[in-house]
Amino acid sequence: MARKDLLDIASLHREEIEFLLDQSTSFKKLFTHSVKKIPALEGKSVLMLFYEASTRTHSSFEVAAKRLSAEVTNFDVAHSSITKGESVRETIETLQAMRTDYIVVRHSHPGLPGMIARQTTASVINAGDGAHEHPTQALLDAFTIKEKFPDPRGKRVLIIGDILHSRVARSTSTLLQKLGIEVAYLGPGSLVPKYAPESIRRFTDYEAAMAWAPDVVYLLRVQMERQDVQFFPSVREYHRVYGITTARLAEIRDRGLYIMHPGPVNRGVELCDAVMDYERSLITNQVENGISIRMAVLDWLTPGGEFPKQEAYTARQQASSTVIMP
Amino acid sequence: MLLLQNTRIASENSPKLLEGDVLIVEGKIQEIGTNLPVPKGARVIDARGRVLMPAMFDAHVHFRAPGFENKETITTGSEAAINGGVTGVVMMPNTRPALDSASAVATVLENAKHRSRIPVYTSGCVTKNREGKELAEIEGMHRLGVIMLTDDGDTTRDPAVLFRAMQYATEFGMFFASHCEVPELAGPRALNEGVMSYRLGIKGSPACAEEIIIDRDIRLAHATGAHVHIQHVSSKLGMETIRWWKSRGDVKVTAEVAPHHLLFTDEHIGDYDTNYKMNPPLRTQADCDALLEGLKEGVFDLIATDHAPHTPFEKAQDFISAPNGITGLDTALVSLYHFFVEPGKFGWDLVVKRYSAEPRRLMGLPVPTIEVGQPAECVLFDTEAETTFTKEFMKSKSQNTPFIDQTLKGRVDLVILGTEILLEREQLVELSEK
Repeated sequence: MARKDLLDIASLHREEIEFLLDQSTSFKKLFTHSVKKIPALEGKSVLMLFYEASTRTHSSFEVAAKRLSAEVTNFDVAHSSITKGESVRETIETLQAMRTDYIVVRHSHPGLPGMIARQTTASVINAGDGAHEHPTQALLDAFTIKEKFPDPRGKRVLIIGDILHSRVARSTSTLLQKLGIEVAYLGPGSLVPKYAPESIRRFTDYEAAMAWAPDVVYLLRVQMERQDVQFFPSVREYHRVYGITTARLAEIRDRGLYIMHPGPVNRGVELCDAVMDYERSLITNQVENGISIRMAVLDWLTPGGEFPKQEAYTARQQASSTVIMP
Repeated sequence: MLLLQNTRIASENSPKLLEGDVLIVEGKIQEIGTNLPVPKGARVIDARGRVLMPAMFDAHVHFRAPGFENKETITTGSEAAINGGVTGVVMMPNTRPALDSASAVATVLENAKHRSRIPVYTSGCVTKNREGKELAEIEGMHRLGVIMLTDDGDTTRDPAVLFRAMQYATEFGMFFASHCEVPELAGPRALNEGVMSYRLGIKGSPACAEEIIIDRDIRLAHATGAHVHIQHVSSKLGMETIRWWKSRGDVKVTAEVAPHHLLFTDEHIGDYDTNYKMNPPLRTQADCDALLEGLKEGVFDLIATDHAPHTPFEKAQDFISAPNGITGLDTALVSLYHFFVEPGKFGWDLVVKRYSAEPRRLMGLPVPTIEVGQPAECVLFDTEAETTFTKEFMKSKSQNTPFIDQTLKGRVDLVILGTEILLEREQLVELSEK
């Protein structure tokens, strides 16, 4: 079951998921102790390579690595030669020469962590690649849901918002379905792709989605910064049509539904202020669980192993699929 | 003098191959028949059932020179063509500087004269620097023999500019080749919008972005009386749009399809394989099927590779950063045989018509045939042998193709252009006697 990298949820097996969730439970127990640190990764180094701004995920990984006694180095992308035109490939070669054990990478280009993984002996953890995957977010979401529903099979999670640009929606929906949870998407027609997997119900109407009787309402951050073009007319209209308004919160409270959000939240867009004080909001649980799940991931991965030749083109070719007779 | 014994002769007119010997004297086909006597001093090759066909012509290639000689040069590009049985090409003008003036065209043609063993033709830009704003000096390029105008790589964005260009250039007997794409709709990523774009987390380019301009440019040709040639059609509805316009019979429209759009779908991209990244993007199996149907029906006048070399370094980047393009000259003929002729999806006549005869007719060039009295411009093709497309085999400077290190059935054994034998595989030597 040893793996070098965690790049996506799609390729994770059920047993691996169960294992990580169990491990996360054990690590979380440590948090109640006065000394929260264990020596599992003592002498190991973790490199944080964040090409995209991130506060939560970055600090969550950093705390997780430090609780496992690993050394953490931040590769300061903003001040590095990357801004001087060094390509990602050259950066990878530099990183490989540093012989770091783990690389936690976030980049706006989908597939880039996989590319790094093929060219280094370090364990690569995808901390978000464009709109592709964000596997540790999905794991912490599943862990948070399982804390409330120890047997989550048949439970329903409604994911609301910008599905098109969301790596969280992709990873989390894939993982929840692997655990037997039903998933539906709700959002503006321009942001909920029609070609998403058929196993995911597609709603564009809030009432219809609520009639589907979800157990958890999962709100996505409306990524204003990703919207190079307009996908909905205004924030005001978005909030009215797809947001959790005060009136909708009352209904959610009556039904006893849980609310989740990967953060950071946009108050007044995907949710109203009152949601933050809602007793069944799991938003801070998600943050807390992020640390234990990332500890479980770091502890699980095995750096080293067979390493593809350092020559760029060979690495690419090894990743090439065989031409299949059409 | 060269006597090719026991060949099977292909032509565009019949799927049947004609068995016989072919005698070539001083660059001309002197005699065709069975059991031809061996003339004194003739070199004899026992072709043993190999197919002899007119050499191919590729009306859509990027030779990258001037400006991007790290990707391809006229020498390496034309040698890749010969390697694939192609004896004439039309270069696209998206070089640096762009081929948008008589002087730029003259430089390329002069270079080609010295650096290529096959004729290299070039298209010219519709607009200066392919920017879609000001018209290029079209007549000046025409005087040097340019007849195809295109801003390939991009659509001429402003329809009014293209409309005026069509009115202007049609008077010189020139025609327009259209790269079809609404840029605002297609977005920056060469990936079909669909299941794969969701899976890969990349905003996809919907097929309608291409289909709208296919229709727009044919309408502009209809309105101005221009001839428009639609390049590298990738979608079912795109094919059907052209079919509909052709059925009306009142507009001069021709169209091409590329081997990769017939062969591959977006699913082949798999785990972000950049060898499958090109523009227009690979679409779905339904599109491949429709394109094949369109090719067999004659909706597509010709096959062209859109040979688009990029360096290994560029293509080894991540999918977003890697440039669009796939090479095709080294591999096209063999892949057409392996995937279509050998399994019986179409015959050699289609290959000869669509990849040899029609592209030359588009360019107003004489069409070679294997007939007595015709100039020798032909390819001998072994249908039993295999080709492994290793890096060493490829003559192109770049190897951005999924066929790299793949083995396909069929091999180009001999390429003849007039009095010159441009290519002869080692395997053929043992079959020849002096």
